Amino acid sequence: MILLGAVLVAAAVVLYVVQPVFSGEKAPLVSLDEEFTEAEARRHLSLVALRDVEYDFATGKIDERDYRRLRDELAREALDALHEVRRSREQTESAPTAQDTLADDLEQEIAAYRAALRAGTMCDRCGSPNPAEALFCAACGIRLESERGEEAAPAAQG
Amino acid sequence: MILLGEFALWVALPVSIWGIVLAFVGGHRKRGDLVLSAERSVYAVFFLLCLTSLGIILAFVGEHYEYRYVWGYSSRELETYFKVTGLWAGQRGSLVFWVLLLALFSSIAVFQNRRRNREFMPSVVGVLLTITAFFLGVLLFADVNPFERLPFPMPNGQGLNPQLQNYWMTIHPPTLYLGFTSFSVPFAFGVAALITGKTDSRWLVVTRRWTLLSWFFLTNGIIFGMRWAYEELGWGGYWFWDPVENASLLPWLTATAFLHSVMIQEHRGMLKMWNLSLVSLTFLLTIFATFLTRSGLIESVHSFAQNTRIAYIFLAFLGAATMACLLLILWRKDDLRAERTIESFLSRESAFLMNNLILLGSAFAVLWGTLFPLISEGVAGTKVAVGPAFFNRVNIPIGLVLLALTGIGPVIAWRKATRRNLERNFVSPLLMAAAVVAGLMIAGMRGFYALATFAICGFVLTILVNEFWKGTRARARIEGEGLGRAFLHLIARNRRRWGGYIVHVGIVLMFAGFAGASFHTETDQSVEPGDQIRAASPYGHEYVLTYQGLSSSRTPNMWQWVALLDVSRDGRRLGTITAEQRIYSTADQPIREVGIRSTPLEDVYVILAGVEDFEGAVLNESSAQGAVFQVLVRPLVGWLWYGGLVITLGSLIALWPGAGGPARRKVQATPASARLAKV
Repeated sequence: MILLGAVLVAAAVVLYVVQPVFSGEKAPLVSLDEEFTEAEARRHLSLVALRDVEYDFATGKIDERDYRRLRDELAREALDALHEVRRSREQTESAPTAQDTLADDLEQEIAAYRAALRAGTMCDRCGSPNPAEALFCAACGIRLESERGEEAAPAAQG
Repeated sequence: MILLGEFALWVALPVSIWGIVLAFVGGHRKRGDLVLSAERSVYAVFFLLCLTSLGIILAFVGEHYEYRYVWGYSSRELETYFKVTGLWAGQRGSLVFWVLLLALFSSIAVFQNRRRNREFMPSVVGVLLTITAFFLGVLLFADVNPFERLPFPMPNGQGLNPQLQNYWMTIHPPTLYLGFTSFSVPFAFGVAALITGKTDSRWLVVTRRWTLLSWFFLTNGIIFGMRWAYEELGWGGYWFWDPVENASLLPWLTATAFLHSVMIQEHRGMLKMWNLSLVSLTFLLTIFATFLTRSGLIESVHSFAQNTRIAYIFLAFLGAATMACLLLILWRKDDLRAERTIESFLSRESAFLMNNLILLGSAFAVLWGTLFPLISEGVAGTKVAVGPAFFNRVNIPIGLVLLALTGIGPVIAWRKATRRNLERNFVSPLLMAAAVVAGLMIAGMRGFYALATFAICGFVLTILVNEFWKGTRARARIEGEGLGRAFLHLIARNRRRWGGYIVHVGIVLMFAGFAGASFHTETDQSVEPGDQIRAASPYGHEYVLTYQGLSSSRTPNMWQWVALLDVSRDGRRLGTITAEQRIYSTADQPIREVGIRSTPLEDVYVILAGVEDFEGAVLNESSAQGAVFQVLVRPLVGWLWYGGLVITLGSLIALWPGAGGPARRKVQATPASARLAKV
């Protein structure tokens, strides 16, 4: 009886472990879930860091001069990242964007991020901000409902 | 079933070795099938170890005293509850338990990442299974097999050490082990980052929640241990700088440093090498702690092992793992350069760096003090004891600086704080500290360290309350919310930051508890029934304990003397306290069960130190009621446990799943993403 149990356990374990080698079933070697492109990640982190600077200013940790300096610096970084995101999208979608509208776009984008962070409608998959009432991400189509009421966790927070 | 458990233990080792080989080969040759087989080995090993653990538990519950381990840690008289916990009562079982938890966490890590972070997984699986295989090898080949049989079956076991028959003791070791083993996951990701060359912040982002989880278990494990020592060891203290206590503190100190330094890498792309070193060091210290507890190398209240072979095996593993980590880090050192330097001394990064250096300094001092007896024995031939005096002298000042940093850190902005604003933000906390000192001195308190501790506690608490208040107010203003709602949202939307600050509040409360220790009073007295013991409280009032008498009784596994005392304070009766001595049939030494009356201000801690006429007392003779008591009044001990609860609350907030917490997984894996951490 015990012998039978031992044989069964051993056989089951060996079969389960060895099976992929014979059947050719594979584990993925690159990630399947979509991730940020490098530029998108930089844009996201710049915007979140901007929010941190605003928090530090609002709670009186930095004065107006330092606030402006840091904000300009971060906005520049975000702008660079935004340029890059646009460029890579142009390559795929070939939709030209005028350079001089970028600064305005950035302002809009920051506002959209803020609104999305507040409403919990920032997409967890692609990081795009969505309007407060959105159920699905406008950029990648994933359902947003599970993220409702929660912020899409910025990394750059202390 | 027990035999099946034993069999499963033998199968687990080759399965894990198979997994190690296939993980590394599959990762190197980009063979998904081999990697899948390796990942399945992780699940299979977990399944097999469940069978093994079940086998051991059944051997305990079924009273199989033919097994040496069961015989050594159980007896027929033992309650079933303690028989089940026999799994981690002794060295052999606890090694099984350790590797079972490791296999559990490995399986969770593999499952979580079945679609994500795939580039890391072959190495992660390889590293986790290597650790598993090491422990399995120890179990099977180092004379610590839990299924080893005695030459002939015994009718009854030797029984469980009575001091382990305690609620706190049943949850203290598993909690610590959860902390130790779960830290293997961040370590495995760190090593995987080094092996694959993806040393940007991604491995940190992936393992952030694991690190927090491990820290949470370690912290609670240590506090449970303090609680056990306080209630069960019967000497009135909670921390003795015992080698095993130190061993659990060491990885806690480095893990705390790591928790803070990862944020610098995330924000600023600095300290990459430092973080990889810290994660390796913390892992090595968890192994070292397991080794110290379970090898018997150093005398300790916890050591139950006398087997020296296992000590050498552990040392060899530690040495090899240290070398491997060092070589990997050196190999990748060009990728690990900082992307930026610290802009200003007045920045949160520099406060974090300071906190890291101090934590490491403290860890080094504790390690040195713990190992010094061994080193002196090896070098000079005499074992020099290093007592609490050394540890206190070194660690109290260090602890106070750290305590101050728990307040200073949160006030300083990232990158560069504005000096004037910073100075302004320190005004009210400093005033509070001064007020605390003045108030306490007027109340008659002297003693530099105690005053300093309370002053810093006041300073930090003011800062933290201010932070919460300013944050809430700013949110209420910007979002147009009410204060209550703004407060809740503030915490919910950035749980890592605010959970962390709540943990800081808990640390402050615990330090207040530590400071209370410098004022405890002790009264020793020999009494007959009706006599009074007068114990002075440091607050100025006096407790009068009236001895009522002694009664002895017998249960299947012990003799028990229970002394009853009436307590009153300043003439007002408060109730009764009982203090006991027990002699277990399985132990020679009497065990003290202390009586504790706890209030937020102070604990009255009564020890029945001795019975004057044992034989008479056994017969319950009225003339043999004389007893010796030690009465301790210990101020603020309760604050340790309140602080512990607050820390638990804070870390749960930081850990809570879902967005807003620490996990943000979508960070791209391209080489250029090293620049990610710029912001």
